[in-house]
Amino acid sequence: MLRYIVRRIILAIPVLLGVSILAFLIISAAPGDFLDQYRLNPSISKDKVEQMERQFGFDKSVVVQYFNWLSQVVQGNFGYSFTYRIPVFNLIWGRLAATLALSISTMIFAWGIGIPLGIYSALHKYSFGDQTISFIAFIGISIPNFFFALLWLFMSAKTGWFPIGGYISTNYNELSFFGKAGDLMWHLVGPMVTLGTAQLAGIMRQMRGQLLDNLKMDFVTFARAKGMPEKNVIRKHAIRNAINPIITMIGYTLAALLGGAVLTESVFSWPGMGRLVIDALRQQDLFLVMASLLLSSIMLIIGNLIADILLAWVDPRIRFRLS
Amino acid sequence: MKKLLVVLAVLFVTVSMFAATDYVIRDYAGNPGGVLNVGTLGDPKTFNIVWAQETSSTDMLDWIGYHETTGCFIGSDQGGMQTVPLLATDWWFSEDGKTAYFKLREGVLWSDGEPLTMEDVLFTFNDVMFVNEMTANGNASYMDANDELPVVEVVDENTISFAWTVPNVWGWKAVGATDILPKHALAEAVANGTLAEKWTVDQFTDVVGCGPYVPEEFVPGVYVKFVKNPLFWMKDSNGYQLPYLDEIIYTIVGDQNAELLKFEAGELDEIGPTAENFPRLAEKAEEMGWNTVVGGVALGSNFITFNFNAPDPVKSEWFRNADFRKAWVYALDRASIIETIYNGLGAPLYGPVSPSSGFYNPEIEEYGYKYSITRARLSLKKGGFSWKEDGTCVDANGNPVEFELLTNAGNTAREAIGAIMASAGEKLGIKVNFTPIDFNTVVSKLLEPSYESVIIGLTGSVDPGSGWNVYRIDGGLHMWNYPPEYSEAVSPEEYVLPDWEKRVDEIFREQTAAVVEEDRYNLFAEYQDIFADEQPLVFTIAQNYLLVYDNTLMLANDDPNPAAGAFWQREGIYWK
Repeated sequence: MLRYIVRRIILAIPVLLGVSILAFLIISAAPGDFLDQYRLNPSISKDKVEQMERQFGFDKSVVVQYFNWLSQVVQGNFGYSFTYRIPVFNLIWGRLAATLALSISTMIFAWGIGIPLGIYSALHKYSFGDQTISFIAFIGISIPNFFFALLWLFMSAKTGWFPIGGYISTNYNELSFFGKAGDLMWHLVGPMVTLGTAQLAGIMRQMRGQLLDNLKMDFVTFARAKGMPEKNVIRKHAIRNAINPIITMIGYTLAALLGGAVLTESVFSWPGMGRLVIDALRQQDLFLVMASLLLSSIMLIIGNLIADILLAWVDPRIRFRLS
Repeated sequence: MKKLLVVLAVLFVTVSMFAATDYVIRDYAGNPGGVLNVGTLGDPKTFNIVWAQETSSTDMLDWIGYHETTGCFIGSDQGGMQTVPLLATDWWFSEDGKTAYFKLREGVLWSDGEPLTMEDVLFTFNDVMFVNEMTANGNASYMDANDELPVVEVVDENTISFAWTVPNVWGWKAVGATDILPKHALAEAVANGTLAEKWTVDQFTDVVGCGPYVPEEFVPGVYVKFVKNPLFWMKDSNGYQLPYLDEIIYTIVGDQNAELLKFEAGELDEIGPTAENFPRLAEKAEEMGWNTVVGGVALGSNFITFNFNAPDPVKSEWFRNADFRKAWVYALDRASIIETIYNGLGAPLYGPVSPSSGFYNPEIEEYGYKYSITRARLSLKKGGFSWKEDGTCVDANGNPVEFELLTNAGNTAREAIGAIMASAGEKLGIKVNFTPIDFNTVVSKLLEPSYESVIIGLTGSVDPGSGWNVYRIDGGLHMWNYPPEYSEAVSPEEYVLPDWEKRVDEIFREQTAAVVEEDRYNLFAEYQDIFADEQPLVFTIAQNYLLVYDNTLMLANDDPNPAAGAFWQREGIYWK
């Protein structure tokens, strides 16, 4: 198992190199660069723009720029953001807490409710409960996130039950520990529900379909025939087999953990990575974009690895093949 | 008790070591205390004034005294003219107009308690502002017509002089508006060449200023807080040491709708609403206890530029034809654009200077430009264009008139102008191929220059002199007629330099030497007249300054406008 993990990690290196080359080429091929906003500023002279081109290395060829960047990255220096003038990881760390708080709680919300609901729906196929849950889930899937977010904010403004967006209150520092936690939770509900309802429906439908398929399988009929209690048939046999594809889905979700959700973050004024990266893309803040792309690729690789390990853990057949 | 005596003694000695503060006295009398809650749409990008580029950063620095609010020699009045003494108590020119003198205010302290002295002033200019590499904007605005920087000399203890080779009013204005920097806090970074990495977003509380507020806390993406500076050097008419408000809190909101909801819920005390939302807010204003302000039109404006050196020489010929350009001045239905995108809260513009500026020349209105397709057709006819039987407009050589019009996608105002221009073209038998494209592509096409026509805007300011980079023939943004020396895309055989362009170039060189303000006014009036007559850039529309705020909030500015906004003289803002 350990050898397998090490091999996967070594294989990830060429993948990351490829991703970085492609990303760098595509960003450089896009018209213009970070200095375009300076070029259109009436109070900045041409000499000054040329001096900054030299400073940022824009006067060199793309290949030279890439290798300069790569040699710095190998030494652990991911470069400075052109806009903020601070190392890119200082910026990303600053956003990490809010990003993870939102994505992890959304994940718990969506998976925690989606899987049980899916199981319930499958076991009560075509009942009134199943129909109601499916109906609500489809509403969740079909309302665009930004619109749901705006509706939520409007509701909050009218009722005062929830804050009108934001991450923490302005008096956060004066609160006790529990006050702080409560304040954070209070702000978290809106974006969590917005993002969660969109994912929940997919998870629920997936779980329902998988379980229904498995309930039709011969081994279930066999288990029932040999007189196994129905509870055990479902828990130990049907669900265990139905959960495999769901775990593969978790791998991809982990990759999306850091990506953030730009529109929802914007509407809720949530200080996550999504807004930071979108601004960086718009301004062609090269090194910040590169760092966030690399980070997402790493998360995707790790997410897949974790999903594979989890699969091996729940499925003895895979464990057998790996060893 | 003994301890207290020692503390008092130390305090007394420290205070008497410095000269008594020469306070600025403002003529307001308000109530101290309270918190002001404001919203901002983006994160500040840096707290370093010489590298800050966007308003999301400079709006924050305003409170600490940077960005020409309190920490420079001369401040702006309500009309945006530099007349208010700040760090300079007095200023004057030598008789030949080449040397400008400033007298430094005594006893001003930095927010960390260090005195602000002539050392700081010398450091600011010699070590930072005059060194091209040190700042984002470079040193070009301090240079005179011979591209020379001034010689700085300390005349006596409190007087400093800047000597240029020729009279240089523009340079004097630039010096007067320069924020003085604290040498004790920045000297090391300047010596290492790392000034750009100083006072970045992770060093907010390190920022030292001489403004009414000091940095308290910054949580990225969440809020920025400022508290009262107890060492501030202004008093009100009752002798109360300003500022009045205890704390300023900027909440960072991600989106205009969220900001509006927060304002309506009373979480924010002030908002600059969009023209789209303004009428709805104005309707509820009385019931909700808000003041609404519709100020003058914005200083910057969107305009259409035609490339005199377009890749196709046939088209260049049209674009160089003033009658062709004027046809568009008539053909654009500005009133309906203003109605559609600004809810009627805007005004048409026919020249490069906004009516909100003190330099606006009202005489250009006598040209009588207005929306009229008939006049547009007359103008085209005068320019040698005619129409075929099927209504297609053709030039004197029989070429059908068709051209490309670009703008950056995502800018609603520019997209609306483009759409209305294309439909005006249809009425004139001219095919205008309007395409909104990526901003960076527009910029590279503009500067190369390889475009036919573009709708774009530039930031404006009260003083037209700031547009030197656009209007001088050798300017980097002289986009409609770049000389062959600027770009290989312009062929020297085809290049034409009309006389009026030479005159505008002359005006922008002469104005820097016009020490008497009236002479500058007259020079700029002439330039506006030339532009109204020739229309090298077809100016379009500008939006009114809009503001809604809590009516118990007393602003120091009784007439907020684009040149002096809601927070002009912010130290005088108080709660009723």
